[in-house]
Amino acid sequence: MDEEILQDFLVEAGELVEQLDEQLVELEHSPTDSDLLNAIFRGFHTIKGGAGFLGVTPLIEVCHRAENVFDKIRNGDVSYDATAADVIMRAFDVISDYIGQLNDGERELEEADQDLLAELDQLWKGEAVKPEAAAEAPTSVDEPKLSLPERVDPDGEISDDEFEALLNQRDALTGDSEEHTPKLQLPEGVDPDGEISDDEFEALLNQRDALTSADEPPADKLQLPEGVDPDGEITDDEFEALLQQRDSLQLDAEPKVETQPAPQPKPQPKPETPTPSKSTKPPAKEEKAPAKANTESTVRVDTRRLDEIMNLVGELVLVRNRLLTLKGNKQTEEDLSNAVANLDHVTTDLQSSVMKTRMQPVKKVFGRFPRVVRDLARKLGKEIELELQGEETDLDKNLVEALADPLVHLVRNSVDHGIEMPDDREQANKPRKGTVILAAEQEGDHILLSITDDGKGMDPDVLRRKAVEKGMMDEVSAGQLDDKSAFELILSAGFSTADQISDISGRGVGMDVVKNMITKLNGSIDIHSVLGEGTQIKIRVPLTLAILPTLMVSFDDDSYAIPLTSVQEIFDYDADQTNRIDGQMMVRLREKSIPLLFLQEWLNPNSNKEGFTGDKVIIVSVGNQRAGLVVDQVDGQEEVVIKPLGVMMKHLQGYAGATITGNGNIALILDLPGVVERFQ
Amino acid sequence: MATQSNLQPYGHQIEEFSLNDDVDEKYSGPSLRCVLFYLDSELYGINVRKIREVLRVGNIRRVEGSAYNVLGVINVRGVIVTVVDTRLTYGLSPKSVDDVSRIIIVELDSDNIVGMMVDSVMEVKDIPEKQFESMSATKEGASRYLQGIAHYNGDVIVLIDVDNMFAGAS
Repeated sequence: MDEEILQDFLVEAGELVEQLDEQLVELEHSPTDSDLLNAIFRGFHTIKGGAGFLGVTPLIEVCHRAENVFDKIRNGDVSYDATAADVIMRAFDVISDYIGQLNDGERELEEADQDLLAELDQLWKGEAVKPEAAAEAPTSVDEPKLSLPERVDPDGEISDDEFEALLNQRDALTGDSEEHTPKLQLPEGVDPDGEISDDEFEALLNQRDALTSADEPPADKLQLPEGVDPDGEITDDEFEALLQQRDSLQLDAEPKVETQPAPQPKPQPKPETPTPSKSTKPPAKEEKAPAKANTESTVRVDTRRLDEIMNLVGELVLVRNRLLTLKGNKQTEEDLSNAVANLDHVTTDLQSSVMKTRMQPVKKVFGRFPRVVRDLARKLGKEIELELQGEETDLDKNLVEALADPLVHLVRNSVDHGIEMPDDREQANKPRKGTVILAAEQEGDHILLSITDDGKGMDPDVLRRKAVEKGMMDEVSAGQLDDKSAFELILSAGFSTADQISDISGRGVGMDVVKNMITKLNGSIDIHSVLGEGTQIKIRVPLTLAILPTLMVSFDDDSYAIPLTSVQEIFDYDADQTNRIDGQMMVRLREKSIPLLFLQEWLNPNSNKEGFTGDKVIIVSVGNQRAGLVVDQVDGQEEVVIKPLGVMMKHLQGYAGATITGNGNIALILDLPGVVERFQ
Repeated sequence: MATQSNLQPYGHQIEEFSLNDDVDEKYSGPSLRCVLFYLDSELYGINVRKIREVLRVGNIRRVEGSAYNVLGVINVRGVIVTVVDTRLTYGLSPKSVDDVSRIIIVELDSDNIVGMMVDSVMEVKDIPEKQFESMSATKEGASRYLQGIAHYNGDVIVLIDVDNMFAGAS
């Protein structure tokens, strides 16, 4: 298998799978949307094509069948009901799983589940003769002729058994209309047990064309556009054109068919299984681990954006040349400052352009949720509508990936714990169908994500009681918690209010993980809930992970950067305002005692041990506690580019990375939760 | 240090070396191109393929809390690179930085580079593979870093396996 082609295929297939995921859920709301059906059909077809080229047989098998089913659906022969949806969804899961495996470097895929394949075939064949479909669909006259060659996929291997079975089936079906529908015959000399070769397939296709042309006016045949090399690969445009031709043919064909004499028997395939086939299908729900989000190592960038960057780099080179000539000659101050000003412009533009290439719409994360919610809701027997808002909001690629897991968790929580069962909702005078809103918007240099449900909300008293029961705090301090702090209890490790632990949520391992992940992204979580009305969880994260607004401080000559989001206030250090409680220096601030951390003690342990002092106290918030950092000097605010510390330092506690300051020196960026932990 | 008189700026050594190459009939056969450097009077070699560049010592930013043999971090054209004190790593006594001290930037893999502070960098040399003796039979511990020794032109060169030396670091 050619790795390069495979990788290209995987990128494309990955995108298609994402699209299909959304489209399939959307289809449940509008099962007759022909644009959507065509798009899904093409999606499966394209994956199949690529898989066929690479010879990934199991993938072809599934895609091919899914494609067949959608071909029927879009022609109106099969309706996309819940049962069909379940089968298709499972097929889709298998496809997405295969692609995941290929992405993981797996090259030998396991054969697809035969039951699934059989169900897809049933859907394809069996459902087609539902009474209403047969009655209303005159276009199905030519269906058997079309369907047989379609089964013979040039990319796939058709087993001889299957082929035989099809031929036999066809013969039986067409037995009473022999004169209208001649059989397709395998060319002589073809080993019936062997794989079908391209030539043989060609021959069959030709046969087919001959057969159809005997039956239909020649104008109705699909024609390759002129000048197209019939042996070459089909391009997307050509494929589109053919599809359109095909569709219009069928439209054209309809009136003709109607004028045909009634006695012509319709060679409908008969169901092999009795019509109540639904009951024979195994229950469609089998819980699968959600496909793991594989971090993409590539990103698609608009070529215009690349051109823009290229142009800016050109400018940069010009400025460099300008500066080089200035260096050689004795030039005026003015020339130099012009060049530097130019350099400033170019680099600022270049920075923002490069940043933009990393930005991706939040849709990439949101896209998976309709499916997650649908599956969960079906499993739990709830009725839930998921609303997505602000999907086009752009954010940094890394953030998009990092946010996926926490969001899945929160949405699952809303569905599982938030939204009530339909009957309970009715009793509470709410619509049976619950609503979960997932929204994203840009708020200054932050992205605000919110998950809102109109479920049962949280009771702060229950949370306080649980906190006491779990020994997290005594009754008095629990009673003193305001509602907001009580809600925040759910973010603590080991805190779960679910009496029954479900396999969806409620183990109490989730929310603290979510919180840690968000904190790691320099974000914050805000919980708002009204008992009986619903819960809203707001997540704020910076637009990008690469640039961080910081407060620069220094000791001696070493500078450190403190993330500005955590800084609450700065005041002069005054020894009179401090006191020592239980060995810990504290400062009184508006009637509250805040522990003081002398950064010097940790950052510069060799300096004079006698009574650390400092000039300024910086009050920072870390989680739900506050601390006062005592520093020598505050240098001011600076936006810094975060760079990872080198090898052997990645896991050093207390540092979030390093950055290079204006004068070329290195400043270390402090990770406040780590710093606080170090002092404890 | 006796060897210091031989030292010339790094760049000159390379040119000189490329002229003298291949002439040595005695040492024909497959060879390993190494950057040679000194710690005290011991000569060490690192496969040149693992080395990105050799830098003069500039500002090294100390990072409190890092391992005993880490000097700090430096800025190499916008990338923060950890610098280790090779002397401390090999159990030698610390020595202050001087004019001939160099930082060898070693590529561990495509994402990770690390700087090794050494007393001085000598030259780049092709060392015939048949001159190497494997170190596997020698004592434990230090041998983790050592790939072999070569006798070459009367010198003993200790060949360092940088991948092993920083195994687990990245």
